[in-house]
Amino acid sequence: MHELSMAEGILKAVIEKSEDNNATEVIEVVVEIGKMVLINPEQIKFLLDVLSEDTIVKGAIFTIEEIPIEIDCPECEYKGKIDDDELDHYAPVVNCPKCGNKRLHITNGKDCIVKNIIIEQED
Amino acid sequence: MHKIAEIEVQHNIMKANEKIAKRIQESLNSHNVFSVDFVGAIGSGKTTLIEELITDMNGNIAVIAGDVISKFDAGRFKKHGIPVVGLNTGKECHLDAHLVEHVLDDIPLKDIDYLFIENVGNLICPVDFDLGAHMRVVVISVSEGDDTVEKHPLIFQSADLVVINKVDIADAVGADADKMVADAKALNPNVKIIKTSLKHKEGLKEVIFAIEEFLIQ
Repeated sequence: MHELSMAEGILKAVIEKSEDNNATEVIEVVVEIGKMVLINPEQIKFLLDVLSEDTIVKGAIFTIEEIPIEIDCPECEYKGKIDDDELDHYAPVVNCPKCGNKRLHITNGKDCIVKNIIIEQED
Repeated sequence: MHKIAEIEVQHNIMKANEKIAKRIQESLNSHNVFSVDFVGAIGSGKTTLIEELITDMNGNIAVIAGDVISKFDAGRFKKHGIPVVGLNTGKECHLDAHLVEHVLDDIPLKDIDYLFIENVGNLICPVDFDLGAHMRVVVISVSEGDDTVEKHPLIFQSADLVVINKVDIADAVGADADKMVADAKALNPNVKIIKTSLKHKEGLKEVIFAIEEFLIQ
């Protein structure tokens, strides 16, 4: 599944940033995953654990923050959040909460972002 | 002494793909090449459809054959005497822009009008990865079951054309092709949906017309 390539992308970004900042250890990695992205946060965490084994990131805590979906409806011009609590993460069908339209511009919730890292540095 | 620091990264994994996809489309545009990403279920008829398009469409076509092991489909396309590049994804379930950009140099863009990209047979993962193509065609067949569309809403919402293939065997496999059409319509009201039986070339003309029509837009 494509959790593997996503995890590889996340890890690459974390390692680069850690090296740029002379990290001796990576303590925590915070990743934002939009609810519209078809990846499973638990699988991502598992893969990050496995892939980071022989790297500076080994042993880090991976915190996944799920990002809610926001839309821009071209029909009724509603802009903003939708109720995504009941949404099926693996097949999210999004409707406009105001008019029910399904052809929407998704303005948030489609990204996967390595937000920040907490590292230990040599002085 | 050691100190703890919080470092802002803000590295967007999806944007990295989008950026490359944009670069691919610019490169295609500069050569006046129209590109189509064919996604669909395993065994739905993606390769057959592309082969039929190679035979019946006007214009020079090249194909990127993406698959977990691509040599089988690539071999089928090569028999038509057109430029073909096989693209193995190995463990991966989809093509991404990075992989496509890698092989773009092997395609004679100046000699072709169309670049067809056959994605890995999968109705889930390709949703998240734009390849820089101008059009996405989603191919399914009745033999996957007539609940296939409603089970994979996002891929159908991302489609510019939906092909429902093997309708000639719908009764034999107990599937209702019209239900699949209705489901796709409900998810993507403006999308063009064509029922085909590609083994008998049924619906092929309509598919060609739909691709040409989309190109003009």
